[in-house]
Amino acid sequence: MAGVEQDMAASLALSRAVLDAGVLERDAELMLQVRAGDQRSFALLLERHRAPVIHFLYRMVQNQAVAEELAQEVFLRVYRSRETYEPTAKFTTWLFRIATRLALNWIRDTKNEKTQESLDEEILEGGPQRQVADTNPSVEQRMVRSARLAEVRRAIETLPDKQRAAVLMHKYEELEYSQIAQILECSESAVKSLLFRAYETLRAKLAHMNV
Amino acid sequence: MACLLQDKERAAWLLGYCERNLPPALAAEVERHLAVCPDCARTVEAQQKVWAALDVWEPPQVSPNFNARLYARIEQEEVQPWWRAVLPDARVWTWKPAMPLAAACLAVLAVALFRAPSMPEPGPKAQADSIDVEQVERTLHDLEMLQQLGPSNSDKV
Repeated sequence: MAGVEQDMAASLALSRAVLDAGVLERDAELMLQVRAGDQRSFALLLERHRAPVIHFLYRMVQNQAVAEELAQEVFLRVYRSRETYEPTAKFTTWLFRIATRLALNWIRDTKNEKTQESLDEEILEGGPQRQVADTNPSVEQRMVRSARLAEVRRAIETLPDKQRAAVLMHKYEELEYSQIAQILECSESAVKSLLFRAYETLRAKLAHMNV
Repeated sequence: MACLLQDKERAAWLLGYCERNLPPALAAEVERHLAVCPDCARTVEAQQKVWAALDVWEPPQVSPNFNARLYARIEQEEVQPWWRAVLPDARVWTWKPAMPLAAACLAVLAVALFRAPSMPEPGPKAQADSIDVEQVERTLHDLEMLQQLGPSNSDKV
């Protein structure tokens, strides 16, 4: 069993390294072109990463307007850093590190004044939720769906900030443990532990749901 | 294989198994383990439900004017004064929060100046200096009197 595990680990590491190299080349190349003054490369980077960054921020702060404002700041910082940019890490790692810091700072700064206006309003008033999967769902189906969504959002919101960031990056943005570790400035082992605790909490809160 | 939940490194395999991103051989190994470990089997079942529950949460669509707003901000930054380029964080600085602080400092300074004594009280050294001057004056006066008395005057006496 130990041999199989070692082979698997080596194979995973190799495939990740190859994948990383490819992605690094593309985004880093674009960023280096931005550094050289090519605005179209910045537009390409924006198109590639805008939605993931905004979606991550939205799930972190649970407010669309704030998420977009923070995302603007993320891309502004990327643009401002173009002249000093060095492709030392994967571009998405750098990008999500900026996004995570901004989100965690916003959460910290607004902890006392934060109101729960967005959660129920968006759901009950048919806010900017995207209707997916169900075509012409009945009123009852929509209500059940809204209730489930509210439950998921509350469960995520109650996670400690770092656990929340780790889960969102792992589940929705599909970042690797090593990337999450770099973003949260901790070891991979700490990330695994963080995720395990976070999912444990979510299992206790959400496993009863029959989706 | 020991229960995967006992070791957080191996427990991560359960997450990978639920995400279906384990290499096939390792996935098969985990599957064999699940057949004999009820704790891990329960965890995987619950995790799969959580995974499905989280899929319900779709983010809203990005505002159509997001790029336009961003480019407007970039353009605004590029026409900013030179000192903002030198001090990039100066854009977050505003005079507004500094005004009350400056006012408070001025008030403290004014009170300190108002309450400060205009001249220090003369200390023992200053008193000693004034005594010395008097003594010198007295001595000079005595010498003058002695000169007036002189040897001729003293003979007369």
